[in-house]
Parts: sequence; structure tokens; C-alpha cells
Amino acid sequence: MRYVLQKLGFYVAALWAALTLNFLIPRWMPGDPVDIMISKLATRGPVTPSTRHAIELLLGTDSQQPLWQQYIAYLGQISSGNLGTSVVYFPTPVAKVISQTLPWTIGLIGIATIISFLVGIGLGTLAGWKRGSWLDNVIPVTTMLQSVPYFWLALILLFAFGSVWQVFPLNGGYDVYTTSIGLSWPFISSVLYYGALPALTIVISSIGGWMLGMRNMMVSTLSEDYILTAEAKGLKPGRIMRTYAARNAVLPSIAGFAISLGFVVAGSIVTEAVFSYPGIGSALLQAVNSNDYALMQGIFLVITLSVLGANLLVDLLYTIIDPRTRARA
Amino acid sequence: MLLFTRRPGRRLAWTAAAVASVAALSLSACSGSDPAGANGGSGSAITVFNGATGTITENFNPFSPTALQPTLGVIFESLYWYNLASESEPTPMLATGHEWNEDGTELTITTREGVKWNDGEPFSAADVAFTFNLVNETPELNTTGLAATAEATDENTVVLSFAEQSFMQEPEILGNRGIVPEHIWKDVADPVTEVNSNPVGTGAFKVKSFSAQSYALEKNADYWEEGKPAIDEVRYISLETADAASAALTAGQVDWMSAFLPGLEQLLKDQEDLAYVNTPALTTSIYTCSNAELGCEGPQTDVAVRQAIYHAIDRTQLNNLAGGGFAGEGSPTLLLPERDAKWIVDPEHKVAPQTADTATANQILDAAGWTLGADGIRVKDGQKLALTIQTVTGWSDYISLNDAMRQQLKEVGIDLTPTQLSWNEWNANQTGGTFQLSLDSIGLYASPNPYYPYNQRYHSDNTTPVGESAISGNFARYSNPVVDAAVRAAGSTNDEAEQLAQYAIVQEQIVNDLPYIPIYINSTLTEFNTSRAEGWPTNDDKYAFAASWKAWDNGIILKTITPVTK
Repeated sequence: MRYVLQKLGFYVAALWAALTLNFLIPRWMPGDPVDIMISKLATRGPVTPSTRHAIELLLGTDSQQPLWQQYIAYLGQISSGNLGTSVVYFPTPVAKVISQTLPWTIGLIGIATIISFLVGIGLGTLAGWKRGSWLDNVIPVTTMLQSVPYFWLALILLFAFGSVWQVFPLNGGYDVYTTSIGLSWPFISSVLYYGALPALTIVISSIGGWMLGMRNMMVSTLSEDYILTAEAKGLKPGRIMRTYAARNAVLPSIAGFAISLGFVVAGSIVTEAVFSYPGIGSALLQAVNSNDYALMQGIFLVITLSVLGANLLVDLLYTIIDPRTRARA
Repeated sequence: MLLFTRRPGRRLAWTAAAVASVAALSLSACSGSDPAGANGGSGSAITVFNGATGTITENFNPFSPTALQPTLGVIFESLYWYNLASESEPTPMLATGHEWNEDGTELTITTREGVKWNDGEPFSAADVAFTFNLVNETPELNTTGLAATAEATDENTVVLSFAEQSFMQEPEILGNRGIVPEHIWKDVADPVTEVNSNPVGTGAFKVKSFSAQSYALEKNADYWEEGKPAIDEVRYISLETADAASAALTAGQVDWMSAFLPGLEQLLKDQEDLAYVNTPALTTSIYTCSNAELGCEGPQTDVAVRQAIYHAIDRTQLNNLAGGGFAGEGSPTLLLPERDAKWIVDPEHKVAPQTADTATANQILDAAGWTLGADGIRVKDGQKLALTIQTVTGWSDYISLNDAMRQQLKEVGIDLTPTQLSWNEWNANQTGGTFQLSLDSIGLYASPNPYYPYNQRYHSDNTTPVGESAISGNFARYSNPVVDAAVRAAGSTNDEAEQLAQYAIVQEQIVNDLPYIPIYINSTLTEFNTSRAEGWPTNDDKYAFAASWKAWDNGIILKTITPVTK
């Protein structure tokens, strides 16, 4: 119990630090949202000094307010669950922009991450179990795919399967021409179809790491004495592989998995840019380009919470699957 | 089954129609099915990409600076429409006539009869008066500094009264203000944050369905212009990058978009259904922080250096290297040589020299005391003639421009260093004056009258010392009492001959001082798919500014095009 409380205390401190950085980083960036909105308006027509006044009133920005007052107000808003109003998408609240985009990202990247973890661990287990087999020889190929820059791989696959062979659609989250959002089969199948290629690129580019890590842990675990003991006892090979070797070998991978789950939200920007996928990554890009403090803070908050949440979950999970962590506390 | 369905799916037609009607009941945000799907893909639906990226949020408020682009022109209409693509008189839209009083303090507008809002209510002069009064009473909406009260004197007449002489407000009032219905907007609690989900306008189209990825407009059957529009539905989509857009165009998923596509001719060569139009209107210029008195630093504060750059660059080569050969000839008056011919007083100032004149450039620099150093770079008073020019990362044509100019200016002993910055930083430098040279474009005002660029770019009222934000537009920090007086004089009259005399004074000054050095009129390339709709603007018939991102003109184009009957 003391271990759990210690952990929770650490997470609260980390959350506070992250929230403070969220507040400060956007304000260190060049430009301010009013100037940016005016410059964008100016490309459509003339602006006058009164434009600036109107936009300031509109956005309710008060640049005269000291930083610490803005900080207090920010913490107050966050704690009451109010993320503020977006500048890019004015007058839409930040919470609405996030709720529009987050499900797409979690759906696509989250599922792709889980798939590549499960498949990678499974194949890694087998490759480690049967060292020198054909599967073992595939590993260098998959790690090579992982070392290729992700956007490059994604662009090549998009070109091949989207433009040349036209097996998959080129962009978007679903077929906007014939379906509309709702719990209907055409919509769901369209989402799956449109998500297939981006998901595939993520799986292809990340599976190698899981496989390699798992395979190597398997190899070192298999040389442990208790494996020898288990073999001597005459246990079935399948049972030795799963319960004796894989269960111990998977521990470092699970820690890695927590981190990659946490980065699902943050790591989505490139995928979404290449496939024009309507997720939170593209919203973050928009926010950064327009110094939309509120939207940036909102999205950073989601990223922070998901990273911390995933880590907390695995920390707690570890106390169950690996008794040694409890003993040390 | 879903494989290879690229456009309004014929195969999915019947299932989609059936399911969409169910979905429509369950989700208020998407209130309809796609007629292209429902009637087996008839050709009267087109798809537009107007540059929207990422998630789309609903905002059809015509007063909002972040309103979705078709809000202005397609759903809501203005009193007049100004064609910025060619020289022409404003086209009457919701107004049929207007007249100023002699002092320029009262504008009487006659409104069109027989116009209906898309909810069936009749439009009248009272709606116009309501719109202008609402803006006047709500400072958050008043982005143009309008100070007018309006009164509807009868069904079809509205009188706007100004506190001071206001001739130069005319294009903003007539051409840049969407008129809203009084019977709806009088009940709107907060016109600033209203997103106007179900917009009631007079335009040729009305909103049909909306989602965060795409929205559709449908034909307004009650539209006032007989027989228009001919297209049943317009769909707007969001794409992330120029690559995605060009792929969607060649795949036939987009009918109308505007993007500079490298190798456009090559790209369209084998595509019978694709066409493009070039409507150059924005002058790519080198902004110089020109005024040492306001805090600008560097050799470019010397007028001789600016003149030397003006003469030393080879514009033909720049067009071929960076402009794809599509750019038009720019003018040192910063006007458009063709459209604005009547406003360019001295024919010698019509176009900038197209080839490099290194002899003149060298002569100017020699006379100003810049002597050639041993390393081929000029020096004066121990200061090297070295300049940095900034542009935005990813603006590939501007990056090539900088690289090419670096070579060209080396010929006359100027050392140019290009830098690439994020848009935010570039913009912050430009507005704050913390730059030496910066590449940007000038153009597209409410009307072609030169008052707007001259007032915004050259008048001292619109600038500030370096370090403060010169957001009103005089980023060069240019300040010249002669220009100031002439611009004010031109703005205080409605008489074109008098205005022309004043612009002659302005042009004489700015052609010499060159705070903005014109390079060329950058192309605005717009690509069309002609297999579903025809009647798009062409290079010979620029009946509207064709860019898919342009407010107001979109409404004109969408009601002019007709479906292709096969």
C-alpha cells in the first residue's frame, strides 16, 4: 500500500510540473495569437488599427495581465475542467475540438500500437524459442523497416497502394461522399477501410522493435537454470515457452509498451499529416501554427495525462506480475 | 466491396441512401444523405478543396473572422460584388444602386426587390440597416472601423450616416459585408460567439449537412437570380498537404482547388478532364525595413541599396526558376499593370525591368559610396553590404527565389544570406520590424482602387517604431510626408481625376524610394475537373477571381457553372 501511495504522490508532482511547462512553453514561442489572426486576415483584405482592437476584444486577450495572474487563472480553469476557447477554431471550445479529434487518433494509433505489440511479442517469442529458424532470419528485415524514417515509408506505401494500385483510399477518415457519421455498417466499414493503410504502416514500422526485444529476452531467459529444471521435470515445451520463458521475458517489453501507449496521442502527427487523417495530431499542428495557447495546452494536457496514466497503470500492473517490485519498496 | 470506390459510389448507392436516412435521424449534426449517392451519382454534385486542413469546426457566422469560407458569398451575400481578377465595375447583388451625398457622410443604397431568405421570409432594406447597426453597436465585430448608423427609409432604401467623410469605406460596406436577416439575428444572444449552425442567407446555396471532416451545401431553390444555380450540391473537404491535394485532384476526387503544383503542365497533360486558370493578382515583393529613424538596422536603410537590388535582379530568370514560368510582370507602383492600367500614371512605371541591369545597379552603388572590397563584396564606412532575407520554411518557390537572388546580387557586390523560419517567427519579425529583407506578397484589397495598398503599405499612420507591432500593414516602416498628404487627399474625394493626380505624386515617390521591391506578380493557379461541371473561369474569361479560397467570388462561380450532361 505504501508503495502505491508513494507512486501516486510522484504522479501528482509530475502532473503539476507538466501543467506548469504546458503553461510556459507556448508563451515562450514567437508571435502572439492576435497578430497571427490579423496577419491571416490581412491576406484576404486590408486591416486597420480597429481590426486589432476588434480581434483583441473578440479573443478576450489581455496581454497586459502579469504572467503569474495568467498562471493562477490557468490552473483554476484546468481544475474546473474548462480548457478555454480555441483561437484557430473560434468560438469553438477547446474541449469540443479535442472530443472531435481524439477518438480518431485513439482508434487508429491505439489499435495499431496494440496490434503491433501483440504480433511483435508473439513472433519474438517464437523466434527466440526456435533460434536459427526462418522466423529468426526475418528479424533483420523488420528492424530495417523500423529504421526507415516513418514518413518516408508511409509515403511510399501510400503512393503504391493509394495511387498506383488504388487498393486503399488516399486520404481521410471515412468516405465523406457516401456515408455520414453514425452507428451504421457502411460508416463503420468505411472507417475500417480508410484506417487500414495508416494502421498497416504503423504496424510495419514498429513491429521489428518488439520482435527483436522479445526475441533477445527469450534467448537470455532460456539459458536460465529454471528453464533447465523445467525441461528436466519433463514439462511440455509449449508450457515452458509460455509460462516459464515468455512470462519472464516479456517484462521489459511491457514497460516499453506503456511508454508507447502514452505516446499514442503525441506520435500521431506524422501519420495524420501523411494520410490527412482527422485526428488530434493535425489539430495540434494547427494550434502550434497559430499560437493557439488554449488549444495547445488542452492537447498537451491530454498527452500528459495519457503518458502519466499509462505509466501509472503499468507501475501498478508490475506490482501484480512481478513481485520483486513490491519487495523492494 | 468497398475497394476502388473513389467518388460518389455507384455501387454503394442504394445501401448508402437507406442507411443515411436512418443516420440522419440519430445524428442532428449530419442531417441528410448525399444525393449523388441517392440518385445513382448524377453529375450535379461537385467537391471543393479550399485549403482547409485538419478537423473542421462549425462556424457559419458571417461576422466571425474564423467563419468557414463559403459563409461569405455562397451562403450570405453582400450588396455589391467586386471582381478583382479583371478591370470591371462592381456587380450589383443585394443592392441595385447607391449614391453618396457631396460631403461623403451619407450613403443611400437601393436594395433589390423580390429577394427571399432561404427560410422563405422576404428580404428588405430593414435587414441591411439591421446588419450595419449590429456591427456598429458591437465593437468585437467591427474589424473595419466602420462608424455608421443605418436607417431604412422605405422597403427598398437604406441610408447610412457617417460621423466623418468616408468615401474610402465604400468597398468595405458594399462589397465586404454579408447581410443577415433581422428576423433571425435580433434573437441571437451573442453575435460574437454564435456559430450559426443553420444559416439563413440569401445566397445561392444553403447548408445541407455538416461533420468535422466534410460539409455539404445544397441549392437554394428560392434564389433570386432566375435559373441559378444549376449545380445541386457542393461538398467541401479537408486535406492535410499539397501532396494529398494533388493526388486527390488527379484521382478525380476534387473538382476545384487552388494550389501551386510544380510541373502543372506535365501533370495535366494526360488528364483530359483537368483544366487550370491562372489569375495573378499578388505581387511578390521584397519587404525592406527601410527607415533608420524608426529603428531599422542594416544597409537596406540606404535607398541606393534598395534601388540597386531593384535593378540587379533578373526577373525573367526568377520566374523560370521559382515561378514555374507562370508569373506576370510586376510594377514598381505595386499595382497590377493590366487590371490597374488606368491608375498607373507614368507609362515608364508600368512594369519593372525584366532583365538584370548590373551597369545601373553598380553605378548607383558607386555613387552612394559603396566601394568594392577585395572579396567582391562592397563596403562603406567599414560596413559590409551584407543582407539577410527571410522566408518561411516550406515555401518552396520563395526559397528558390532567395537562392537565385543570392547569385544575381553577388554580381553587383551584394552579399545576400537567405534564412528560413517558421511562419510564426517570420510573421513576428515582419510585424515587429526585426528583419532586413523579407519575402511576402502584396495585393487583394476590397477594391482595385490604389488607395488601399497605398494607405496600408506607405502611410505613416500605419507604421510603428521597430519593436512594436506594425500590424496595420506598413511593415517597411516607410514614412514620407509627401506620400502621407497625397494618400489622405486621394481618400477624401470621390473624383477619379483628382485621385489620379494624387496617386501620381505617390507613385513618383515610391518608385524612387522602393520600400517594397517588386519581383513579379505571383501566379494564382486554380485547377478544375471539367467532367462533372463546366463554365469555370478561364484565362480568357476571368469573370471572377477563381481561387477556391476566395470569399465572395466563390458564390459567383458556383452559381455560374453548370452540370455536364452526358
